[in-house]
Formats: sequence, C-alpha cells, structure tokens
Amino acid sequence: MQNRRDFLNLLCRGTILTGLAATTGVLAYRSVKSGNCELGSSCSNCGKSDNCSLTEAVLYRSTVWQLDPAKCIQCGRCATNCVMTPSAVKATHVFAMCGYCDLCGGYLKPDTKNISTAAENQLCPTSAIKRKFVEDPFYQYTIDEPLCIGCAKCVKGCSAFGNGSLQLQVHHDRCKNCNQCAIARDCPADAYSRVPASKPYLLQGIESKPDDKQIG
Amino acid sequence: MHKNILYQYLLLAFVAVAIGAVAWWLIYNPVKTFTTSLPGMDERKTGAVALQKVNIGESFTFFKTCEDIPGTRWPRFRGADFDNISKENIRLIDSWGKTGPEILWKKQLGEGHAAPAVYDGRVYILDYDETSKQDLLRCFSLANGDELWQRGYHVRLKRNHGLSRTIPAVNDKYVVTIGPRCQVMCVNRLSGDLLWGLDLASEYSTEVPFWYTGQCPLIDNDTAVIATGGKSLLIGIDCKTGKKAWETPNPGNWKMSHSSIMPMIFKGKKMYVYCAIGGVCGISAEGADKGKLLWESADFAPAVIAPSPVILDNGLIFITAGYGAGATLIQVKENGGKYSTEINAKYKPLEGLASEQQTPIFHDGYLFGILPKDAGGLREQFACFKASDTRKSVMSSGKTERYGLGPYVLADNKFFILSDEGELTIAKYSTSMFKVLDKAKIIDGQDSWGPIAITGGYLLMRDSKTLVCLDIRAK
Repeated sequence: MQNRRDFLNLLCRGTILTGLAATTGVLAYRSVKSGNCELGSSCSNCGKSDNCSLTEAVLYRSTVWQLDPAKCIQCGRCATNCVMTPSAVKATHVFAMCGYCDLCGGYLKPDTKNISTAAENQLCPTSAIKRKFVEDPFYQYTIDEPLCIGCAKCVKGCSAFGNGSLQLQVHHDRCKNCNQCAIARDCPADAYSRVPASKPYLLQGIESKPDDKQIG
Repeated sequence: MHKNILYQYLLLAFVAVAIGAVAWWLIYNPVKTFTTSLPGMDERKTGAVALQKVNIGESFTFFKTCEDIPGTRWPRFRGADFDNISKENIRLIDSWGKTGPEILWKKQLGEGHAAPAVYDGRVYILDYDETSKQDLLRCFSLANGDELWQRGYHVRLKRNHGLSRTIPAVNDKYVVTIGPRCQVMCVNRLSGDLLWGLDLASEYSTEVPFWYTGQCPLIDNDTAVIATGGKSLLIGIDCKTGKKAWETPNPGNWKMSHSSIMPMIFKGKKMYVYCAIGGVCGISAEGADKGKLLWESADFAPAVIAPSPVILDNGLIFITAGYGAGATLIQVKENGGKYSTEINAKYKPLEGLASEQQTPIFHDGYLFGILPKDAGGLREQFACFKASDTRKSVMSSGKTERYGLGPYVLADNKFFILSDEGELTIAKYSTSMFKVLDKAKIIDGQDSWGPIAITGGYLLMRDSKTLVCLDIRAK
C-alpha cells in the first residue's frame, strides 16, 4: 500500500513524463508536417536523407547538379571552386558533334605553327586530351578523365573555332551532390541547376543519357 | 652498462631508419606514371600521300540553253571590283513586304560552302556530287534556275566541314574553277567545252589545305592567276592554251591558304597580293617583270587564313585571320623601284576588327565586318571601324544581332547580311548606327557561309545544301 507521499511523487513523475511525451510527439508531428529540418536541409551532411520524408530530402534524392553547356562561358571557376580536388566537373567530348579536324581549336594552342602532339602545342595544361589519327585527314580526340581538371580551356577553344563538341559536365561518379554547390553559387553565367537524377547530363548534341560510344 | 647498449641499439636503429628514408627519398619518383608528350604520339602518317589520278573535265552533260540577260555580272569572288559591293544602279527592297521574301528558284547542292558567280544571265557554281563522287561545274539560268549543263571529273572526297568551298572566275570567254583537291579546270563559258585542266597537287606539289581548297581563282586579261604553294608561289596560265605564262618561285616553301589573290595598284604599279601559309606577298601583275616577287612579309603568318587581303588606300593592306590570330595592317613602301613593308598594327581579336572566315568590306574610309567568336563583347556582331583606326569600333549591330560566320554584301546603300542559321537581314548603310530595315528566315540555314552574289536585282545565297535565288528589286 502506497503512502500519500509516494502517490504524489508517482503522480508528478507521470504527469511530467506524459507532458514530455506529448510535447515530443507534437513537435515531431509539426516538424514532418511543416517540412522543417533541424539541420537546415543540408542533406549531404545529414546521413539520413535516404529515409527522410521531408520535401527537401525527396527533391535532393531525385535531382543532381549539372551545368548547361549552352550557358557556360568557360570562365574556369569549375576547376577551382569545387569541393573536390580535382574538380568533379570535367570536359566531355560529344563525338557526334566533332569535326575530327587535324587543326583542332580545342587541342592546339591558337598560335601553334607545327601541328603535333608535342606538349608545347597543346592547349590542355595537363595533357588530358588524347589525339589519334583515324584516317586522312581525320583525328579523334578523347578525354583522359583522371587528368582533366575542368579548366575549360579546351571547351573555349572548341566553341570559338570548332563545332562546340567539347563541353563541361559534372561527373556524377565524383560529385558529392552538395546541397549548396560551391561552383553553382559562384557561377557568373548561372549555368548550374538541379536536373532529374534520371537524366543527369545536359550535353548538347545528345538527346538522352550518353553512352560510352557517344562521348569520350 | 645496459643503458649504454640500449642507447647504442637505439642510435643504430635511428641511423638505419634515416639511411632508409634518404634512400627512399632518392629512389622514389613521384612522376613515374607521367608520360612526356612528344610529336608523333597521334600516329600521324608521314611521307607522301598517294595521289589519285584525276581526269579533269572528263564528264559533260548538256541539258538546255537559255537567253542572255546582258549586264548581270558578279563574275568572281567579291564581285567585279573585288570589294563585295554591287555598284549597279538598281533600286533594291528595304523590306521583305507582307508576302515575305520572293524566292525565284531553289537548287539542291552537295554539302559545302561553294558560292556562285554570274555572267550575262548564267550562274556558275562548282558543286560536289556525293553520289557520283564528282566535282561538277554546274551552269544554271539566272532567270529561272534551269540547269543548262554540267562539266566535271571524278575525285574522292570525304566530308570535312563541307566539301566544296570555292567560287569560279568568269569572263566573256572562260570559266576557271579550283576544286576541293586543287584541280584547276578551264571551260568555255557558253558551251562548257573543256579547254584544259591542271592538277596542282601532282604538278606543283601543292598541299591540299585543311578542309579542302578555299582559294577562288582569278582571271586577269585572259590569264588564270592561281596561288599554288609547293613548287611555285603563284602561276599565270593562259586560259586559251593552258600554257604557263609566268611563274613565281617559292623559296620559302609557303603553302596554299584559303585566302584568294587580290589585285592592287600602288604608285602606278599593278600587283597581286596573296596571303599564303607562311606570309604575305606582292607579285608584279604587269610589264616585263610579271610574276616577280616585289615584296614579302612573314610578320603575320597564322596556321590557317581564310579571309583575303583588303586593299586600303596608299599601299595599306588589312589582313585578318581566325583561330585567335587577329589582324594586321601592312604598309607597302616604294623607293626607287624597290618595295618594302612595315607593320602598322598587329593585334588579337579582342583588340579590334578581325574576321575568321569572311573578308571585310572597305568603303568610304571605313571597314565593315563580322567579328569572330573570340572577340569578347563584339563577338559575331556586324561592326564598323575607321580604316585609320581598326582597333576602335564606331558602330556595331548590338548583342541581339549576331551573325556567326555568315556572309555580307553592300548594294544600293544597304547591307545584306546572312546569319549562320539562314536569316537574311537588310540593314541601312551607316557608319554611326546599325539599323535593321527588315529580316527574314530564307532557308534552313545550317552553315550558311557561302558568299552572297547580287546582280540585276537577283540575290543568290546558300546554306550547306541549298542554293536560293531571290528577287530583291524594289517594286
């Protein structure tokens, strides 16, 4: 048999616990209902985004960052502003648009006298573009991805003097998909946007998701 | 005692580690995975390219004849006076009107940028037929587009940013053409009868330029004037006989460019000005020393050059090229019959008037042109510069009016400017303000780069696959 003191203690504890439970429940309910995130929707840092039902998390899971080559002005910031080193943005070559020229504006420096693979003739600072003879007078250009730093020098040369087949793209095998992309924040051309994860590339000259035969 | 032994062991271990570290530091090569980029890594083929034996002018097809339209003449690249200005006294339209452009006729062509020349009602264009694999000189009626005849020869070509890209030279008797692989052909203007052919690659060791030949031939006093590169720099061929009239040596082994020969008269001396791959030169065009090299300059020698030299006043020549080369002004000087040159200006595309493909127009002391893609804010804009100061534009079309690599021509105080996409703009002639009178999409317009021809109120233009004739006479 409980005495009066124990009964009051139990009652107070019960009341407090019930109040806490009710408060927690209400807060949790309101949090889900209103779509607030205690981490400020920084999904990439949360670690729980795979199961989160918040609107931001759903959106985050279904979209990725990509840059639109039509807006890109080849300023070079993709190489320096990305949180990854080297940048997750790299040059991509759309073969369907390429002229396969001997004198390639994306491969050779503009004032090059001798057209050859000598380092001093190459526009790319890391020699990431490989040039191979196909048949007279055509040459194929492919990107050595690990070497590419996303500086856009080749893209600038190709779009100024060629067909624009060299284009910058966010490579999703490297991209951290940060909620606040450091490059997008500083992009002067506002070329970055979130695109559906089901169609993560915005290459000109290719309608659907590129395969290895279309790009290189 | 134990302490000393322990100390010695520790010291020994430390020394061993230190030696190991130094050895590792010396042996380790942080760039061992690097490869040196050297010439030849693209497996470029070297040595002489096997030449195809071409029987120039072997094929001929006659369709019909047509009436002359006397006086309708745009006889070569950049017209009769080499300036891209039509001086005919014919009023041309200011707008396309309610019904839009009046297209008189259209013809399907092989892919390319070759443009027509016109002489007395006949249109001549050197086309490439991908089906029969022939260079075909096609003659059409200017009035209705009926095809009159074709003269051609078989030559293998692969698509390389288009196939054809030259304009025939025509006079009252002859038509002279240069094909993509440097085959020169001369035929009778009316009948299309073959007079002679010359394969520059086999006869003069001419190296076919990137993306095939762009040089348009010149007929001067019944002599075909051709820049060959290779064994010679320039040659003159008698149109009637096909025999060589004169030849300019080429000790510097300069190569053929896409630029065309422009005549110039300086202090009473007529000369041919040519921008080769290697440099610019002036060749005597008259007198006993015809064909003699009068002057040369290698101060402006880009790897590729498409625009032709623009002859300004008093021996000043404006030369421009694309691919980042920019432009230069060369002053020719004469002293006691000796010629020399001086560079008056040289700059990059960001710093002044430059052009990648089309040759600017010089008129009344001003130069007009479309700037290349690497010209910053003025890129692809139609702009005007004083010839005395080609670094500062005095007029431009604005950022909403960009034309890419398209051609332009001046006629009846109006500019007709064709964009890459096949939109033809009529703009009022002005050196202070760009005013669009009207514009209309004429053709599908992929790579509409072939130069425009205007004569007799007809305007001929093309995109990569279609030739169109418009009636632009004011009603």
